[in-house]
Amino acid sequence: MGIRFNQVSYDYSSFAQGLYTAIKDINLEITEKNEFIALVGHTGSGKSTLAKHMNALIFPTSGSLEIFGNIITSKRSKKIKYNSIRKKVGLVFQFPEYQLFEETVEKDIMFGPMNFKITRDEAKILAKEALNLVGLDDTYLTRNPYNLSGGEKKRVSIAGILAMDPDILVLDEPTSGLDPAGKRVLMNLFKDINEKTGKTIVIITHDMDLVYQYFNRVLVMNDSKLIYDGLPEQLFKEKDLYINHLDYPNTIKVLTYLNQKLNLNLNVYQKTNADALLEIKRAAKL
Amino acid sequence: MSYIEVKELSYSYNNKTNVLEDISINIEKGEWIAILGHNGSGKSTLAKALVGLLEPATGEIFIDGTLLNEDSAFEVRKKIGIVFQNPDNQFVGVTVRDDIAFGMENLCVPREEMLEKIKFFAKKVNMLDSLDKEPANLSGGQKQRVAIAGILAMQSDIIIFDEATSMLDPFSREELVKYIKTLHKDGLTIIMITHEINEALLADRILVMNKGKVYAFEETEVIMKKKEVFTDNHLELPVALDLANSLEENESHKEIRDKLWEYALIK
Ligand SMILES: Nc1ncnc2c1ncn2[C@@H]1O[C@H](COP(=O)(O)OP(=O)(O)OP(=O)(O)O)[C@@H](O)[C@H]1O
Ligand SMILES: Nc1ncnc2c1ncn2[C@@H]1O[C@H](COP(=O)(O)OP(=O)(O)OP(=O)(O)O)[C@@H](O)[C@H]1O
Ligand SMILES: [Mg+2]
Ligand SMILES: [Mg+2]
Repeated sequence: MGIRFNQVSYDYSSFAQGLYTAIKDINLEITEKNEFIALVGHTGSGKSTLAKHMNALIFPTSGSLEIFGNIITSKRSKKIKYNSIRKKVGLVFQFPEYQLFEETVEKDIMFGPMNFKITRDEAKILAKEALNLVGLDDTYLTRNPYNLSGGEKKRVSIAGILAMDPDILVLDEPTSGLDPAGKRVLMNLFKDINEKTGKTIVIITHDMDLVYQYFNRVLVMNDSKLIYDGLPEQLFKEKDLYINHLDYPNTIKVLTYLNQKLNLNLNVYQKTNADALLEIKRAAKL
Repeated sequence: MSYIEVKELSYSYNNKTNVLEDISINIEKGEWIAILGHNGSGKSTLAKALVGLLEPATGEIFIDGTLLNEDSAFEVRKKIGIVFQNPDNQFVGVTVRDDIAFGMENLCVPREEMLEKIKFFAKKVNMLDSLDKEPANLSGGQKQRVAIAGILAMQSDIIIFDEATSMLDPFSREELVKYIKTLHKDGLTIIMITHEINEALLADRILVMNKGKVYAFEETEVIMKKKEVFTDNHLELPVALDLANSLEENESHKEIRDKLWEYALIK
């Protein structure tokens, strides 16, 4: 078992506001290998909080969590090497600014791998490779991460995790702020890593097109609770996703519109534009 | 003279390479402009120049007839609000309430009126029950909502949204867009930087930036008919238009193609 949540709840506490239960009674199993999971849900539903548990960045207030055999509870245990958990499960934050702190992009990406027993030169090579994978050329190595555009920062923060090469990757909205081509390239990269190395990857997103096209399991958070864990295909057949502040993928919306306006009988459940096109052509011939 | 005029604007962060190069654009009062372009193409830099946060290397910017410079920046900023790409850059206060108030304080809005407006705009972005919270303790999308509320509350004539909805869930985004549409009907000039092609479709005109230059600046319908604009600029066509373009131009497809265009261009 990779990661298992047992009745996990988490309360944020602050002097001004008291307690806020951000996730509640979460039961969830994530296999160590071969999973490609989307995590969706409305603003403030608890996605980032859930993600931060997955690499023991925060501990459950109640319930327990198992990460690669380590049992995590509200109490810190001397027996557990939390740092080694954080190497095994890599987390990319929602805001890249929280992750970038070195004075060059190269040093920033090297930071993770340098924790392993490798030389500086080896870490440099890993940093360069990771940078290129996220679509930035070598000229960025010497740049100051603070002086990058929003999308460039996002890419560098993702490169940092890729260079670390953890067993499980958890990415909090990795595609927000990316240009459409960059979004494609990175989603294909994540999928490729998942298929070639079998690494489990969890991705938080608001993009229903991505959920439909790339994932075979989707988790839906609503009001601190996990309300759905299953196939995207099934989710998008639900009648009123708007209740959960979700939406339908564009292909479904466009084909539904054609059905309504032209009295067609298209099967609207097409994942890609290519599939949607075939379906339209089929109907047009009738 | 146009409402916003940018003349031969260039800018460099390091005095070596130009991040903006020879930008000349005019925007009329009440227009809705979308800005698209690859990561690092200069969108945010242009936005910062428009609100007087950067001093052009060369060129000039006029807002409602006033040349933007050090002396005029303070006055001009009363006309033009910007929601930054990173909401954290906008937060200065201890509470959400302070942060929504911040812009209005600079405008010297009377206290009573300010309190009313804080409530009104917090409600608009669905953050009314969070006024006493610390901005740092909010989720990503909640931060974006607060940043948006603070700028809406200033009720300036022009608002620049720099990827301001990138972390909102689809429903909140839709709600916000609906509200922005009503403001636009009432005459607000909107400049919306986005990577969401469906959001760009709402604009009257689209400005496409590429490597610091203006690649195209034309009516939305015109841009949508030019496939090369998309392939040259890391963009993807809206799903409906990609389908319309892929259908052969024969009679049996005509009706469907028309409907696909209709779907894409509904405002
Ligand atoms: N440090 C904190 N202190 C107090 N409350 C917090 C803190 N961080 C988050 N919260 C609250 O917990 C809830 C869940 O936050 P979380 O960041 O997990 O949401 P999310 O699903 O990731 O939302 P988004 O899509 O907007 O990023 C929110 O209501 C948020 O205001
Ligand atoms: N403070 C800075 N110092 C130096 N260079 C910068 C700075 N900010 C941005 N740049 C560079 O200027 C170029 C334009 O950046 P800008 O932020 O305007 O891009 P953008 O179009 O908004 O991109 P994105 O879609 O990623 O937000 C980029 O190549 C970026 O690396
Ligand atoms: Mg979040
Ligand atoms: Mg930007």
